[in-house]
Amino acid sequence: MTNGTAMKPLMEIKNLTTRFYTQDGVVNAVNGISYTLDPGEILGVVGESGCGKSVHALSIMRLIQIPPGEIPAGEVFFGGRDLLKLSEREMRMVRGHEIAMVFQDPMSSLNPVYTVGFQISEALMLHKKMNRSQAKVRAIELLNLVGIPEATKRFDNYPHQFSGGMRQRAMIAMALSCEPKLLIADEPTTALDVTIQAQIINLVIRLQEELGMSVMWITHDLGIVAEMVHRINVMYAGFIIERGFVDDIYNHTLHPYTMGLLGSLPSIDEAPGTKLISIPGLPPDLIALPEGCPFFARCTYRVEQCHQERPQLENAQEAGHTVACWRWREIQGFGVA
Amino acid sequence: MGRYILRRLLSVIPTLIGVTLVIFLFQRLIPGDPAVAMLGEHANAENVARIREQFGLDKPAFLDRDALAEGDLPGFFDSQYVRYFGRLLQFDLGESIHRRIPIAETLKERFPATVELSLLAMSIALVVGIPIGILSASRRNSFLDGATMIGSLVGVSVPIFWLGIMEIMFFAVIMKWLPSGSRLSSGIVIKPITNLLLLDSLLTGNWVGFKDAFLHILMPAISLATIPTAIITRMTRSSMLDVLQEDYIRTASAKGLSERIVLFRHALKNAFLPVITIIGIQAGTLLAGAVLTETIFSWPGIGKWVYDSILGRDYPIVQGVTLLIAIIFLVVNLLVDLSYALLDPRISYE
Amino acid sequence: MTELPPVTEEINDFAVREHRSLWLDAWRRLISNRTAMIGLVVVAVFVLSAVGAHFFWKYDAKMDLNYSAKLLAPNLRTTEKSTQIHIFGTDKLGRDIFRRVVHGGWNSLRVGLVAVGISLSIGGLLGLLAGFFESTDLNRRERTILMAALGLGLGALPAWIARQPFQAVLFGLLGVASSLLHGKTSKKSSPRLVEYGLAGALIGGTSGFLVGPMVALVCGLVGLSIGLLLARPVGGKVFSSIVMRVMDIILSFPSYLLAIAIVAFLGPGLEKGMIAIGVVGIPIYARLARSAVLSVTQKEYVLAAHSVGEGHGRILFKHIVPNILSPIIVQATMGLANAILSAAALGFLGLGAIPPEPEWGAMLGDSYKYLSSGAWWAVLFPGLAIMFSVLGFNLLGDGLRDALDPKMRV
Repeated sequence: MTNGTAMKPLMEIKNLTTRFYTQDGVVNAVNGISYTLDPGEILGVVGESGCGKSVHALSIMRLIQIPPGEIPAGEVFFGGRDLLKLSEREMRMVRGHEIAMVFQDPMSSLNPVYTVGFQISEALMLHKKMNRSQAKVRAIELLNLVGIPEATKRFDNYPHQFSGGMRQRAMIAMALSCEPKLLIADEPTTALDVTIQAQIINLVIRLQEELGMSVMWITHDLGIVAEMVHRINVMYAGFIIERGFVDDIYNHTLHPYTMGLLGSLPSIDEAPGTKLISIPGLPPDLIALPEGCPFFARCTYRVEQCHQERPQLENAQEAGHTVACWRWREIQGFGVA
Repeated sequence: MGRYILRRLLSVIPTLIGVTLVIFLFQRLIPGDPAVAMLGEHANAENVARIREQFGLDKPAFLDRDALAEGDLPGFFDSQYVRYFGRLLQFDLGESIHRRIPIAETLKERFPATVELSLLAMSIALVVGIPIGILSASRRNSFLDGATMIGSLVGVSVPIFWLGIMEIMFFAVIMKWLPSGSRLSSGIVIKPITNLLLLDSLLTGNWVGFKDAFLHILMPAISLATIPTAIITRMTRSSMLDVLQEDYIRTASAKGLSERIVLFRHALKNAFLPVITIIGIQAGTLLAGAVLTETIFSWPGIGKWVYDSILGRDYPIVQGVTLLIAIIFLVVNLLVDLSYALLDPRISYE
Repeated sequence: MTELPPVTEEINDFAVREHRSLWLDAWRRLISNRTAMIGLVVVAVFVLSAVGAHFFWKYDAKMDLNYSAKLLAPNLRTTEKSTQIHIFGTDKLGRDIFRRVVHGGWNSLRVGLVAVGISLSIGGLLGLLAGFFESTDLNRRERTILMAALGLGLGALPAWIARQPFQAVLFGLLGVASSLLHGKTSKKSSPRLVEYGLAGALIGGTSGFLVGPMVALVCGLVGLSIGLLLARPVGGKVFSSIVMRVMDIILSFPSYLLAIAIVAFLGPGLEKGMIAIGVVGIPIYARLARSAVLSVTQKEYVLAAHSVGEGHGRILFKHIVPNILSPIIVQATMGLANAILSAAALGFLGLGAIPPEPEWGAMLGDSYKYLSSGAWWAVLFPGLAIMFSVLGFNLLGDGLRDALDPKMRV
């Protein structure tokens, strides 16, 4: 089930693949993922740590260190061109300008020896060709926008004079400075207190509504995603294993892994004493990926076919979204009589 | 920040006193009677008496408890060390045993030669070491990086006196391109202003003098610069590599800044902090290395002077020069710490 | 709908890779590091040849003299002029340079090991204790020992002045008292100052009076200040800062200038050189060990050991020492290189081995004056020997750093 109107997607990713060459072997971090992102959409990318969700975002931005990294295949269409084929100079004009990124740890993501104001102004001077004083005016506006009190005074502060939550606000201000079409937020709340987390999430939702950009929200926390995003990509071992609108995924979970993720969410409704479901085992070694389904080893529904062949993402009409599992029909009780 | 600077300044004082103590204690290391050791077995009684007087050898080392027992309070403090320290406070470093000239006087003559050599060597080390360090960090695992790593390891492993000898052998003895010693050829005169010959010849527009002085200083400066260059290169590289791993570097790239700006604006300022410390330490290496380099190249600075004095057992000179070098070293490291406060905004708020 | 058979078999974690111990892991990384391997080979050649020569290739430096064969160029075949093969040539006394270079290796190895041994054992121990007591509260016994030592040490001054050793003991007891009574009167600190100041002045003054009135005055004043210092039991920070201040003083000399100066006053000799180089190196290890300890003592496993009540000695040697070994090993390896280099410099200046003992630096110092006669071999080979042995240890140290640094573990 799609949106109905044929909207032209903002970004279209085809077969994106990223590897790292390490001493121990080739790490297959992202394994040929494809999806589209609509203008104004908030997309949640969910998965355990090491599932490739951050790496795939960094690959879109081409911020992977090459070597040891490599993007051997794939296309990332954004604004009518393939980002992976741009020259480094053209790509710089995309970074921070059309696609901006907010990182996980606000403590270490700001340069300690420059003022916060300067670090925000930097992008403005680069992309918007502002001079220093214009950039300062705009940067103070942005600091106000993200809810930093006394923005004029704070402009000249160094990062160590900011609290963690304020730094993340400053990071968001920096990312939004050039009005990007896409904001990639890579676990932006993981390092923060729970109350601050909620503030940051609400801030991003508000700014998304005001500015109309698309947001890609990367997280390992399904609970956060449910409230704010439109669509979800569930990633596992560098694959997208389930993708669709939030409601469809919550109401008709198809992939055993997603079920596990949802099962490990504590719920207020449950009777006290109910055991949280955990997924046994560990994700597969990305150096030696199994030939069949990557989730095979931990799956309670596995059959011989799962061991032999890798399931591809297919449209599960009945559930209204896509999934990569051989047995989704049986699992949800669809179709097969 | 003011408090940080003040605290750091005050912390030098006890260290400085400790330094004078160590240097004073040097003469207690001399086996046997120091006066005899300095003058040799066959010294005449008059000279021995003079040395005893100069060092106050008839007094106890630190405190005179016998004087105190007799109720003589000022006499209690009249000791070798207190006299030594009192003289130091008046900038009196004593006098040379054999030539009987005040050490401070000869020092004034000889120090500029060492300063010139050390400054040039440090400039070479900075101009070569820092850019190569940055470049090889930004091209990690490239051929250049490998060559830099090997080259710098060889650099710290070469005995500089041997390198100097090899240079003399090749450039002076075999090729006859460069002079093998001293600061100037005979017959060349440079009007003294600062006593730094390169600077003086430039100031007076004396091109012949400049060229001659430059040819003379080239080999000693290069061999003296070897170790600092290697160490500064390595430190710059590893510090840059550390900083390039930081999240804020990724943030800067994600803003769309070019590699050059990320490297020079965002990485370098952070990476430079540990490098400055190393530079401070290298100042000491240079001054100490001067003893070897100046000896080989017959460079008339304080290093050669120390060497000659060790051979001649003119211990007050060794003490005086060691003290001077230690003080310079302390001051340089103090400046390094203070520059930290300027470069790193986090320090002022500690 | 088909019945889904529950999977009963054990879920196997094939994601978990082969388990490797830290040291085995480090060793593997070391041998896969090309430069480290080169270093290891060079070091092995150096050590084996030096040790082998010392024990199996007799060389009597005092008898080695042959003026008829002086300053011969290297030859690989016998000729009329040189009837023996000298692959490195001969020096001004007609001695075979190859032989002297190989035997000189033994001296360099000795200097390196002894000097690093001195720096490492003294500096390492001081740094270890300084770091540990700086970050950990002293227990009662340790504080008592520290206070007693402090009292004894400070009391030694008035005791020396008045020639009364028992005075120092009294001040030591004052320290013990302060430590044991601490807590009872700690709320009111000013009376304590008065009490202890008075006690100190009394100890110093009355016993000084036995010698003379002036002695009584001075000892009384010194005793008063000692009493004031001892009034409040000190923590481990005091120990640490005393140690580190002394280290600072040593460090305010460029290290090998200090070594040169020490030997210049002591007089030349290989053993004196070893000691001087060793002493000069103490602060490096003290600082390194201290900062390593400080970073480790805040780790959870050390806090856990404290919380289950393990003794300080046990925590120090079971939990802390193993975890600070790697930077120390790296530093010691590089320290060997440095010691060899410094020893050569001393030898070159005529402050090292006493001739005719073969020593690389001294060989260079002897021969470089003959450079103008073209005897390049007399300076080339000893210099290369220094360079390669130093380079070997430096390469090895570098490789060890990469291998032992857990940050690099992928």
